[in-house]
Amino acid sequence: MTDFLKQQKHTKVLPSVCPACGDGLNVKSLICQNCQTEVQGRYDLPPLAGLSPDDQQFILDFIKASGSLKEMASLLGLSYPTVRNRLDEIIERIKLAQQQNENT
Amino acid sequence: MKIPKGKLMTQIAAPVTAVSHRSLTQWLFNPFRFIAGFKALLLGLIIIALTSLLGSLSNTHFDGTLDVHTGAPAPLWLFLAEGLINWLSLALPLYFFGLILSRSSLRFIDVLGTQALARWPYLLTALVMMPPSNKRIAQYFMSLAMQSAAADPLNYLDMTVFIFAILVSVLMMVWMVALMYRAYSLCCNIKGLKAVITFVISLIGAEAISKLALFAVFTRI
Repeated sequence: MTDFLKQQKHTKVLPSVCPACGDGLNVKSLICQNCQTEVQGRYDLPPLAGLSPDDQQFILDFIKASGSLKEMASLLGLSYPTVRNRLDEIIERIKLAQQQNENT
Repeated sequence: MKIPKGKLMTQIAAPVTAVSHRSLTQWLFNPFRFIAGFKALLLGLIIIALTSLLGSLSNTHFDGTLDVHTGAPAPLWLFLAEGLINWLSLALPLYFFGLILSRSSLRFIDVLGTQALARWPYLLTALVMMPPSNKRIAQYFMSLAMQSAAADPLNYLDMTVFIFAILVSVLMMVWMVALMYRAYSLCCNIKGLKAVITFVISLIGAEAISKLALFAVFTRI
């Protein structure tokens, strides 16, 4: 198991899909860590939250690399087209998720 | 897990995206996962030059995108021209299909570089064609075909070396085609049936283009 997955095991991952029926989840309540005030309502998850933790990390690293695919490629030890294809796949997933959200 | 104030979840977890593990299998069958662009182009051109040099020493001509033949002696530049023509004959149609079909922003240098690097199995072919046994066998068959006086009689060692060279050449050809396909699929981000069909069309086209271009070069010398 990679270090990344080990770390993920100890971190609660925000679920985006219902474990019972597989449909998308919404946020029902938010809580202040300081005074414990709880806000309740129905909030959509942001599109990025629907991605896998690995994809989210990729997006985060991509932003940290100022959106440079070349820098990402050198950071990950992968070739430019490999990184570009991964980004394209993530973009496709986000588009699909947004489309599904709009339909529902 | 209690989240400290003012810190985002992502800042706490913050593992950098897993750095890719490079296994020998990946290097052998999909090196383009790690190398493309200018580096691949430079390495590929060195490989093409070395293959041409070895070919010139054993009179092994790469006279077509996939062809390997033992033939007549020729100047080194002709062997180099063969290598460059073979490489460009395939790289250009693949890039053309990539421009039409790909939804990604592809780079010409990636297609050129990876297609040059994909030719590296033919460096091994050029090496196994080096022993003089192959030249003797080629001369023997040539004399049979031309119905001229027979060359030196064949011996078992020559035959064994020749059969080994043929087997290795076929294996290298399969390997090279697999690498070319992987390079195309990755650099142009085209997968599945669409990738297979356009690759096969490009390969057949490349055979024809390279043959015509080499014929034009041969007739000038």
